[in-house]
Amino acid sequence: MAPALDERFFEKFGVEYAPGEIIFCEWEPGNEFYFIQSGTVRIVKVINNREKNISDLTDGDVFGEMAILEEQPRSATAIALDRVKLLKFHRDNFDALLSGNPALAYKLLVIFSKRIYEAKRRLMILLLEEPSMRVMDVLVMLAEKDPHLDFQNEITLSVTAQDVARWAGLTEEDAQKELTHLSRTDKIEMFGDKIVVRKIREFQRLVASKRKSMYQK
Amino acid sequence: MSNGTASGPSGIITRSYKPGSIIYFEGDKSEYVYILKSGKVVLTSIKLDTGEEQKEEVRPGEFFGVKSALGKYPREETAQTVGNTLVLVLTPADFERLVLKNSNVVRKMLRVFSNQLRRIVKMERSVLGETEIVNPDVELFKLGEYYYRQGQYRHAQYAYKRYMEFYPDGEHAALVMKRIRAIDAGEPSPPDLGADHASKPGAPATDRSDEAGTGEGSDLLDFTDSGDDHPSASGGSRTALTDEMDDFLSDDVSLGIDDLGAAGGESPIELNEAADASRLRGSFDEALELYKKIISMNRTSSPDEKKVFEKAHFDAGVCLMKLGRQREALDMFSTILRAMPGSPYVKDAIFQIGAIFESAGQRDKAITYYTKVLNMPPKDKLSGEALSRIKKLQGK
Repeated sequence: MAPALDERFFEKFGVEYAPGEIIFCEWEPGNEFYFIQSGTVRIVKVINNREKNISDLTDGDVFGEMAILEEQPRSATAIALDRVKLLKFHRDNFDALLSGNPALAYKLLVIFSKRIYEAKRRLMILLLEEPSMRVMDVLVMLAEKDPHLDFQNEITLSVTAQDVARWAGLTEEDAQKELTHLSRTDKIEMFGDKIVVRKIREFQRLVASKRKSMYQK
Repeated sequence: MSNGTASGPSGIITRSYKPGSIIYFEGDKSEYVYILKSGKVVLTSIKLDTGEEQKEEVRPGEFFGVKSALGKYPREETAQTVGNTLVLVLTPADFERLVLKNSNVVRKMLRVFSNQLRRIVKMERSVLGETEIVNPDVELFKLGEYYYRQGQYRHAQYAYKRYMEFYPDGEHAALVMKRIRAIDAGEPSPPDLGADHASKPGAPATDRSDEAGTGEGSDLLDFTDSGDDHPSASGGSRTALTDEMDDFLSDDVSLGIDDLGAAGGESPIELNEAADASRLRGSFDEALELYKKIISMNRTSSPDEKKVFEKAHFDAGVCLMKLGRQREALDMFSTILRAMPGSPYVKDAIFQIGAIFESAGQRDKAITYYTKVLNMPPKDKLSGEALSRIKKLQGK
């Protein structure tokens, strides 16, 4: 990022965290978003009594940006992995911040572009009625996310049944039922933390034609 | 095509299109951002919820194709010219340079984008029905409890302090204060799973004072003593989970559901639907009450009722686990093994028992139960999961 902004901005908005310190935690109200100047921040979520790593973020990354939109509880916990220097911005400073810092504004523009697409994509899954379609579409969505996958061949997705249930808005039991069915018919193969899909194209086609017929009703 | 292209002095390309030309199709992948210089462009997209076509006109000076280019995803709309049209074609780098020089543009776009995002996220929440279910205060408390049980006291302390900051009158405030003081004093009381959680969310106010005092009961299990297969060796008065387990499997354990009263005229099958819905929403305490109601009705004459009765035991166990009431969960799963050995839930129940032992750090016991699952036909997803857990535990 542009070094020009650092000095002045750090005086005003800078905060530092020691290794292992929590920056914010899941469920607390969020009013600020953060820009990482240096160090690594780990984003984790406690799901079913287990802490799960969502991602590690580093210099130049932004997190907590949903707080810009509205006061919602944080959806994950942010922990400093090493000594971390951050810029912390309150929602109310948003405008002032943007005019003073177009580079950051641009960065947010890119992030929001991605978030909008991801949210729309998730919504598309939830708008499907049948659980079987939702589960297939979750797999399609995950496949689409990885640009390195070859859709003509068998693909491997790093995902658990629990994740699938969450994306699909289903209970774990229902999601498991659908996955078991797919695996019995050899459309997929299930492992603890990954799912192998034989023909993702087929799922794509099925979901697309379902969506079409849904709209025509 | 007779559409022309010219490169300007800045390296930015200008393209001219005849009327009715397609600049890009929905689903195309491209990194270009466009600015309409003159003429007219119409963007056609499909509404997510209804499938309706919606058209939007781009006016000269406006950008289009920005989100998909920046977010690196396929075009969500088709862009078609109406009259003779000139557009500027920008690579993301061009676009970045351009907008950095003009922060007003970025701000305007950000405002538009954030409004869109807010709208979509709201829609997503309403589809998921999330708004009613989540009680951030309860969840924040549970997060603190999670870290507390893990022995990550600094993290627990953070969550507890936030809880007191935002919900000083919250239903768990007394217990949270107790925890904060204990951690401050450097002497966290032994994790008191089970009883402490037993009356959690939605419990009547009168329960609260009891709750705060139940931490040191000698019959409670130490679930955080992970890595130690013999908690009885270290915690004299504490009962080893292994022994407890054997007790559960041999004794007749009362489920304590007799006091739940009449079921209010609902059939177990209807109750089951309501319970599943609550569970789906994440209201585990609500779901648990309903499953317990089904159990208390004890109706097993028709095959459907029998299935629901057995299912209620299993799901009640799952809810108890979610609520952190491992010991009661163990009780529930054991009932399935003991009282309904022919039930389709037996294998799942054994698996969950393994999981409870695993979370209690009782590695050997966990492996024993997972192995039982592994040896039960058919070879299904659960067998695979059991195997991978065994491997994980052995690899430690």
